[in-house]
Amino acid sequence: MTGRAALLLGMLLSAPGPLLGQSLFNAAGLGSPSEPLDGRTRALGGVGIGLRGSAVLGSDPAAAAFFTLPAGYLTAQPSWVEFERSDRAEEGTFRGTRFPALGIAYPTVHSLVATLAFESFLDQRYEASDPSTITLDGNPVSVQDDFVSRGGVSQLRLGLARRLGRRAAVGLSAARYTGSLTRRVQRTFHEGVDTTSVGAFQTGGFWGYSGASVTGGASLFLGNVAHLAGSLTWSGALDATASDDSDGASRSYDIPLQLRLGATAVLAPGLSLSAGLARADWSGVDDDLRAGASAGVVSSYGFGVELSRASILGRSAPLRLGYRKTDLPFGLAGGKPTETAWTGGLGLNLSQVGELVRAGVDLALERGERSDSALSEKFWRGTLTVRVAGF
Amino acid sequence: MAMLLGLAVLGSAACAERTPTSVDPDLFPGKPTSVAVSLSWEEFGSNLKVFGGFGDVSELGEGMVARSFGGVLDARTLVRFTVLPTSASVTDATGTSVTDTLLSLQGGRVVAFMDTTGSVVSGPVTLELGALRQRWHRASATWSMAVDTAGEQRPWTEPGAGPLERLATAVWDPSRGDSVVFFLDSTAVKLFRDTSEVARGALLGMLTPGARLKVDDVALRATVRASRADTLLELTSSWEALTFLYTPEAGAPGDGLRVGGVPAWRTTLDLAVPARLTGPPSLCAAVGCPVELTSGRVNYAALVLSSRSTDPAFRPSDSLGVDVRAVYDPSALPKSPLGAALIGGYGKMMGPGLFGAGEGADVEIPITNFVRAILQADTVAGFPPPHSLAILSAVEPSSLAFASFWGVGTPRAPRLKLIVTTSHSVELP
Repeated sequence: MTGRAALLLGMLLSAPGPLLGQSLFNAAGLGSPSEPLDGRTRALGGVGIGLRGSAVLGSDPAAAAFFTLPAGYLTAQPSWVEFERSDRAEEGTFRGTRFPALGIAYPTVHSLVATLAFESFLDQRYEASDPSTITLDGNPVSVQDDFVSRGGVSQLRLGLARRLGRRAAVGLSAARYTGSLTRRVQRTFHEGVDTTSVGAFQTGGFWGYSGASVTGGASLFLGNVAHLAGSLTWSGALDATASDDSDGASRSYDIPLQLRLGATAVLAPGLSLSAGLARADWSGVDDDLRAGASAGVVSSYGFGVELSRASILGRSAPLRLGYRKTDLPFGLAGGKPTETAWTGGLGLNLSQVGELVRAGVDLALERGERSDSALSEKFWRGTLTVRVAGF
Repeated sequence: MAMLLGLAVLGSAACAERTPTSVDPDLFPGKPTSVAVSLSWEEFGSNLKVFGGFGDVSELGEGMVARSFGGVLDARTLVRFTVLPTSASVTDATGTSVTDTLLSLQGGRVVAFMDTTGSVVSGPVTLELGALRQRWHRASATWSMAVDTAGEQRPWTEPGAGPLERLATAVWDPSRGDSVVFFLDSTAVKLFRDTSEVARGALLGMLTPGARLKVDDVALRATVRASRADTLLELTSSWEALTFLYTPEAGAPGDGLRVGGVPAWRTTLDLAVPARLTGPPSLCAAVGCPVELTSGRVNYAALVLSSRSTDPAFRPSDSLGVDVRAVYDPSALPKSPLGAALIGGYGKMMGPGLFGAGEGADVEIPITNFVRAILQADTVAGFPPPHSLAILSAVEPSSLAFASFWGVGTPRAPRLKLIVTTSHSVELP
């Protein structure tokens, strides 16, 4: 087994799951979007489309057309979050690491590049605790209620991309929703009863997700100075099927059409500016949500600059800076929450032969804030993408 | 491979994560509701029976002495000592340790050790020590019978292991220690060490009325002179058989529950758990009634018994441990096989005061898993879950005293207490 094969196997085995909770906004509606963006896109404040170069991105299927060798990648994303409720009744911290994207690209015949990716989509992982005192048999009894929501929606995506001459590329991918959600309420008894004799109460359910989506995209090079790209994602219903022993019922949700546009302009040799925007109208899912939850139109934009001629220890190490603003589709208090972040990072080509990068990493670090009228979160978010090619 | 190491580090970070957690009650999809439900005997119980005769006094491995305790109870302790050594290691004139087989008995003493917390005594009492004149059987001896086995029934010449050949008396003052000493001459000691005597044994009785003493241990300590005249030795013999006789035996309870004693009493009953609840109002207001009673909704189930004053002669002087076991074949009672202890250990401990001045107190005996099994109705090895329970001493037998509870047909009849929690179903957003 070659070292690169071992590395690829390690990447596959290291991924413990597509989603681990990183926000209390996961409690709102269907959860918070968990975009499967790589470290380069994050560092440039991107929305997942319009960057020059090859990439396996569910939001930009045409970007895979530029792979000339088989490639694989894995993205990891640790976060450190401080939160505070707007009524100042609670504040705290949490941290977590998720693996939002894992995939491979494989050039085939007729300039076609096939891609297979496992991506995160919605993060629904959070917990809530509520200690209180109830009266049993006329006596006060301390109880602790805990709610656990564990899981989320992922996508298994299969795509094809192809260059059209030297100036254009197109891509098409089909994804199947997967993943699961466990929601469980538990009550435990404390002071006021014999805790060795009084057992806990637990109820809840397990749902498996299914459904499908299709994304089509295209990109266009305007000489060596600009690059334009766009994509459109149509999704069928997201079906949540309850297991036989679940208390709750199965549900189905309409997932909106998602539109993305992006562009990159070369400002000077080794210096480029990229920008992108995305839009999706989630209000159609309102009818599917239970009372108290609502969704709205989500817009995102971001921009960044990349200094590609930078180097570290003689190796190419592009520097990146950016800014990003994203609406979240579901809020905790009826309003539309927004996430903003200043971003930065670098790439490091660990093994390069000429223009061919055989192994590299992209590192991004974001400092941002998510907030609505009920909750505010400040976060540091790191993103590390490891990529290999030519195996 | 350095990158692989980096991935491992990230993986470790993932393992140390803390899930986003809030105490905001608004993040709950629905809070549970808990209520306590008390079912009357008519709503859950039937077929209550009391059985006696489990175990015998000799299994206790302890003695008891009493005289007119509670106005009626007399008890005497029988003890047979192990064989005294016939040689001892002594130091001779040269300072060498040698085995001396020429020991001459000088006298001795019998020492009895009392359980001060398990005894009921208000001041100094006078005890007597006698020698038995009749062959007796440790496992079957009773107040009236010296031997009561399948092959032989032999009564005492006089009930109570009499007539007694008194050898010594002694006063025990409980405020001055837990032991009482009976001094004996060599002739008396020989009565206890003569292994050719089938009646060999000592009898411990009480002369002072109104007390009941629990005897934890009895030992014979003989004083012997070695072949060197200037050397006195003390040889100790422990007991090889220790039991006690008592009279009168407790009669069967008329309308109550009884647990414990020796031979031990057990109470059995059948349980029926309702399939749904239609109250209390707080439960119906929260989740709507009727509420299906499932095993997952039962947090706690307990038999609630009301303690009753026990006959003073058999009233506990120390805590009693009570347990419950499933009755696998009620039709075979009192010989039905029983399941494992539902409480375990020393059982549910009940203080002695509950069965005297503190009568009428509610005592809860947890049977949560038993009730859950009934509600689940899962068969085990093809058998449905048992619906009958036996209430018995956790360690059976454990003492002469027993616990009494108010029975069916009284205002304090047994009840079934349930703590039930339910909630609306947990749905998706």
